[in-house]
Amino acid sequence: MRDFRVVRQAGWALLPVATLLLAMAALPADAQEAAKEPAYRAFPLLGSRLAVWAIAQLHLNFAAFILGVPIFAVIIEIIGWRTAQERYDWLSHQFVKLTFAAFSTTALLGSFLLFLFVAYYPRFWMYMTSIFFPTYGIYALLFFAETFTVYLWYYGWDWLSGPRKWIHVGLGVLSNLFGTAILLVANSWVTFMMSPAGIDESGALKGSVWAAINNYTWMPINIHRLIANIVFGGTIAAAYAAFRFLGATSDEERARYDWMGYVGNFVALSAFIVLPFAGYYLGREVYAFNQTMGITMMGGFMSWLWIIQAILIGILFLGSNYYLWLGMERIPGSERYRKYVPPMLIILTLGFLIWATPRTLVVTMDEVRAMGGTHHPVIGVFGVMSAKNTVVNLMILTTFLSYVLYRRANRVSTRSWAGTGMAVQWAAMGIAAAIVTYYGVKGYFVESIVRIGYSVYQVEAVLGAIVVVMAIDIPMFRGARSTGAIRWGTIAPRSQYVLILLAVTFTWLMGLMGFARSGIRQHWHVYGVMRDNSVDAVTPALGYAANVITIVTIVFFALVTFIFWLGGLGERGQAAGHAHAAAPVLAGGSNPRR
Amino acid sequence: MRVPVGVRVGVFALIVMGGYTYFANSIPQIESKPPQELSLEGGNVTPAQLVKAGEEIFHTKGSCEICHRIGQKGTRAPDLAGIGARAGKTKPGMSAKQYILESLLQPGAYVVEGYPNIMPQVDKPPIGLNRSEVWALTAFLESLGGTVDVTLNDIPPTVGAAAAGGGAAAEVKLPGDPKAGEAIFAGKAGCIACHKAGKVGASPVGPDLSHIAKIQTSEYIMKKILDPVGSGTVAGYPKGVMPPIFGQTLTAKEYVDLVAFLLTLK
Repeated sequence: MRDFRVVRQAGWALLPVATLLLAMAALPADAQEAAKEPAYRAFPLLGSRLAVWAIAQLHLNFAAFILGVPIFAVIIEIIGWRTAQERYDWLSHQFVKLTFAAFSTTALLGSFLLFLFVAYYPRFWMYMTSIFFPTYGIYALLFFAETFTVYLWYYGWDWLSGPRKWIHVGLGVLSNLFGTAILLVANSWVTFMMSPAGIDESGALKGSVWAAINNYTWMPINIHRLIANIVFGGTIAAAYAAFRFLGATSDEERARYDWMGYVGNFVALSAFIVLPFAGYYLGREVYAFNQTMGITMMGGFMSWLWIIQAILIGILFLGSNYYLWLGMERIPGSERYRKYVPPMLIILTLGFLIWATPRTLVVTMDEVRAMGGTHHPVIGVFGVMSAKNTVVNLMILTTFLSYVLYRRANRVSTRSWAGTGMAVQWAAMGIAAAIVTYYGVKGYFVESIVRIGYSVYQVEAVLGAIVVVMAIDIPMFRGARSTGAIRWGTIAPRSQYVLILLAVTFTWLMGLMGFARSGIRQHWHVYGVMRDNSVDAVTPALGYAANVITIVTIVFFALVTFIFWLGGLGERGQAAGHAHAAAPVLAGGSNPRR
Repeated sequence: MRVPVGVRVGVFALIVMGGYTYFANSIPQIESKPPQELSLEGGNVTPAQLVKAGEEIFHTKGSCEICHRIGQKGTRAPDLAGIGARAGKTKPGMSAKQYILESLLQPGAYVVEGYPNIMPQVDKPPIGLNRSEVWALTAFLESLGGTVDVTLNDIPPTVGAAAAGGGAAAEVKLPGDPKAGEAIFAGKAGCIACHKAGKVGASPVGPDLSHIAKIQTSEYIMKKILDPVGSGTVAGYPKGVMPPIFGQTLTAKEYVDLVAFLLTLK
């Protein structure tokens, strides 16, 4: 029965490849008919733009999940393999199970998206094909390779255990490499639309397709999406664990899912801390490609979008820290660090408020007179990039401090140099905070082009502090004395709602940033090359975009819930026969080596 | 009664998303609309109309306001107040209109001290102003402290050639017959009653179409025939004169032939 399911699921997964191959086979005929083709067709009821938007966003959500989760799942599997701890192997299998359940849906949505492009934007599709045709075959081959590897990885879990575990881990690594390669290919198409390269004035490819692939925003988006996928995968996995925690009927089960939620959140948080840096890189490359596009993005009709983004990221920072603080309550010995929570909360809250302060406000003439100008004399100062860059870096440092304190909550270093080590750690963080603040203040007194360069110094200071602190922390707490085992499962239930809040917020944020990335092209399919002459050429306002994002996010979570439920149905009744269905006991059993 | 976990979590998630949606709907709602094409060629335009059209382009399609201010020092680009008077004195031997045109079409040729060389060519995509629009914008900038003396002949004929942003794939290659289209222009469609098209016709009622394929995109031409009101009226000509009936009176082949003929008018 299980074999039949494998074949059926593989069939679904390979559907987009078959569709792509059919599209490729039809190309010569399409080329002949191109002149007679309408440029656009109207999708019934919704309209073509909305249909493509919704399906693309759903596909992206699922794709991000199935590409992000295996990255940390294989790392967790390697940890379990090298430390011979069954619970890590169980956890890794749980994560891959979630991915696996979503694999077919991702493929189906991809096929539907392809169909929408071919059918409703035929001329655009023909143009993209004229540039990227050689990549279609590569994409199809990679998809085959990814599908077979993931299926073998998942179903070979028991078969490739014991002495053959290295082969299994190799499959996990290989599936990640194929998955990342798929991401890189798909990114080349979408980034070409933003920042086209390698073409002449008429839009035709000049030489090799590589020039079109390696455009300005390709590598920044590759990096940004790769990191964001890990964050996204972590938050969804943590939300799944939270859901299971809240519905758990035994302490054992509660402990298991408490731990799973912690790991999911830890993964998300670790990647999330570096995500803003990848965002800077992407923003810088957008400006490097086209100043007008960059300025439109940050200071034009989209400027309010960044306020919403700031609020969402502020909630993610506050939520992540709050979860860590709640988690410390189940760790004996963490009382020593509670005094740090209020100052950290103050920094995060002030940072949140400053980051979310708009530069300009919609005001009446009376209000302008009362303020003495269009900008508020006090809070207007916080609306500029100098202030925002400064506070976001301080928020990252604070979140990192929360993590460091959580990490050492039940441990006391036995190293003779522990005092010096901690002093150096505090100094590293203090110096980083001082550098960030110094350049933040100095940024007010220099030209914008100089100010943009300061953000690099700020980022380097924060990253430097993180590296120094961790380089000291790891040896300092190796073999540390434990003040007690973590009481898994005893965390306050409200912490699980925080995990759900983080998942919902990050998914919504992904939708918003998808709108930003696509919206900065404005009335262009391919920026500056192929104009959008359809009835949907208007780039909608944020309210409309938010409505779409919310509906897509609801549909995404409904589908995810349904798929996970289906996945759970399939496993019922076979628990006894499956080595990984029986999870290791965790309650009160935290390993001091962690 | 104990509420199921699924319901609790679902309601919580909906409240969170509802909050984000409410906030996004409560802030200023700004759409980005695609710019309209402006055609002034062949029309009798007064300097005042030209300046007004140029001001509109300055605020909309030209995207000038993203960096430039009038009467306020910008950090990205110079203040344009008084540029009409200042332009003639900036580069020796260059008149105000020559300097303004050079700034619009070759912005890197002279960069005002203290500002980065970031200005794009306005007649190239993504801004992509056509010849008429460059003419009007130049007139508007001249009017800021100077005298409007720019004429269409001052604008190089090549300006805006790559402005449509159609790209190779977007270029329309209609299977229509231009010869048959010329006959329709002069015959069944009756275009000749108002328009001149090269050697065909001489009526001054509507704009001269002798170079329409050079100054307008194929999309505009095709749309204008079917929806003359929705496509706008050329400045200097009365609105609502062109009948919106050709979608019904012409067959598909006649329409394609007519477009094919108009696309030969370069």
